[in-house]
Amino acid sequence: MKRRHPHRAKRLAATPETGILPFKIAPAEKNIGRPKGRIALRHRDWIATIVLTAAASCAPTIATRAFDDTIYPALNGQWTRASVPGATGQPSFDPAKPPGRGQQAPLTPEYQAKFEANLADRGASGLADVISTTCVAPGMPMMMQAYAPMQITVLPETTYILIDHVHESHRRIFTDGRTWPKAAQPTFTGYSVGRWIDEDGDGRYDVLEAETRHFKGPRLFDSSGIPLHEDDETVVKERIYLDKADKNLLHDEITVIDHALTRSWTVTKNYRRTLDPQADWPEYICNEKNPFVRLGGETYKVSPDGYLMPLRDNQPPPDSRYFTQPKK
Amino acid sequence: MALAAALGITTVAALAFDESKYPDWKGAWRRMAFPGIAGQPSYDPTRRGGDAQGAPLTPEYRAIFEANLKDQAAGGQGTDPTYTCLSPGMPRVMTTFDPFEIVVTPQMTNFLIQHIHDSRRIFTDGRNWPKEIVPTFVGYSIGRWIDTDGDGRYDVLEIETRGLKGPRSFDPAGIPLHADNQSIFKERVYSDKADPNILYDEITTIDNALTRPWTATKKYARLPVKQPEWSEIVCHEGNGHVEIGKEGYFMSGDGHLMPAKKDQAPPALRYFKQR
Repeated sequence: MKRRHPHRAKRLAATPETGILPFKIAPAEKNIGRPKGRIALRHRDWIATIVLTAAASCAPTIATRAFDDTIYPALNGQWTRASVPGATGQPSFDPAKPPGRGQQAPLTPEYQAKFEANLADRGASGLADVISTTCVAPGMPMMMQAYAPMQITVLPETTYILIDHVHESHRRIFTDGRTWPKAAQPTFTGYSVGRWIDEDGDGRYDVLEAETRHFKGPRLFDSSGIPLHEDDETVVKERIYLDKADKNLLHDEITVIDHALTRSWTVTKNYRRTLDPQADWPEYICNEKNPFVRLGGETYKVSPDGYLMPLRDNQPPPDSRYFTQPKK
Repeated sequence: MALAAALGITTVAALAFDESKYPDWKGAWRRMAFPGIAGQPSYDPTRRGGDAQGAPLTPEYRAIFEANLKDQAAGGQGTDPTYTCLSPGMPRVMTTFDPFEIVVTPQMTNFLIQHIHDSRRIFTDGRNWPKEIVPTFVGYSIGRWIDTDGDGRYDVLEIETRGLKGPRSFDPAGIPLHADNQSIFKERVYSDKADPNILYDEITTIDNALTRPWTATKKYARLPVKQPEWSEIVCHEGNGHVEIGKEGYFMSGDGHLMPAKKDQAPPALRYFKQR
């Protein structure tokens, strides 16, 4: 259960409107007296900064536009998926459980049947999943598997999560105090609104809560083919926070609410900070690595020598109805 | 108290990211069109695409360009690979087809460009060039901030980019860069002095397909929208081009393979039992 200092503002977020200070002082705080810890120092700092800067340069706005990144957790940088002892094969939605049926996804009977069909298709063709073979974006929640290094950048108005795998996915979690738009273009990554929480009342944010809506599909939970509902009315809720004992370990507690499920499904993903500040950022061009072609509802493979190949026994070749020239 | 607070301020300020030192490049930027320039945008936005660019190509690469134009007229793509969703790479990604975002932090500036695979990272953390670079289509970029007028605020981001892979072309007409991928790009990105909602990217390309460095200046306008809607472009979604081996085909509306050129034969089916 989230602990919140009883006298703190419910949400401390810089907004374009307030814009000047990196946090907003709720009226109740002013009447209570000196806030705890670093907040007190920061208030005095700001007041003194403004006075001194005004005296020195007659430009009070310079200091007031500084972004105090010390009140945010140190999330900036590169993160990679934490390995799970004993786990083999493709990573799963719930890293704590075996893949495929072992995930025990709380699917409705209709979507359990779709999942079984995906497993059968995978067994026949050997494909990991249909989406990746077509180079269409994995979207949420699957992109948070972080098959490739993940960049997180925290700024007051937005937290960016960038992952280049299959598709160059740009997540923006808006923390500028906005409300949900009346309409939003559906995307694979969805539209995310977040807020920073100071759970322990030490004057520093430690949890980013995010909610994501407005999806398009098709999307899967993971590469075993656990499907999300085709109505794309998924809601994803997250709590993103650093491990209390290890600041180089990041947790993303993801809860998916979806009509393919009988109940909401919560898992926790873990990531390790890359300590090399000049680590590589691999470029993933899906088509360079993808030998699959989808024609007429069937998936084929292009051989290394550049010819179409069947993926399963007795798979018919693609229809050539539009060609006037004979086959080669 | 003021002095003690000042001492405290020094510590806090040293940790703070002072955004005011950097130009305000927040928001959504869109490529500006130039009057009278129609058709596909090109490297030099002040000229029409293709031959009208006046690219200073060597005779060898002029011949490749001519062959590209001929192949495109016949329904092909020439040496331009983007129809299969390969990244346009540098310098073409800076043409930008949808509004893009610039995210500035002290260590890095991200250009978030949704198109095919066009986003860039500019490292401004003072690093040296690595001994080895894994080649990419957008290259490896090192930048530095410059305060050209000495007012205590940066106003120009200078960038150098190396470590490219290909094939790449300057524009959709297929003006080619050299197959050796030894391109170097030097850029100066800066706001208009009179209008901070206009941004310039002065790009100089040094490439062995050219007889001399080629400089063009891109121009972008900031959209007057407080909460821009950011598009998601997934190239493969609805892409009607299919490449099998070295041949390009089309996908029909009903999902079947179609020829892209007149009298093009269907793909060989040597690996199929049923024909």
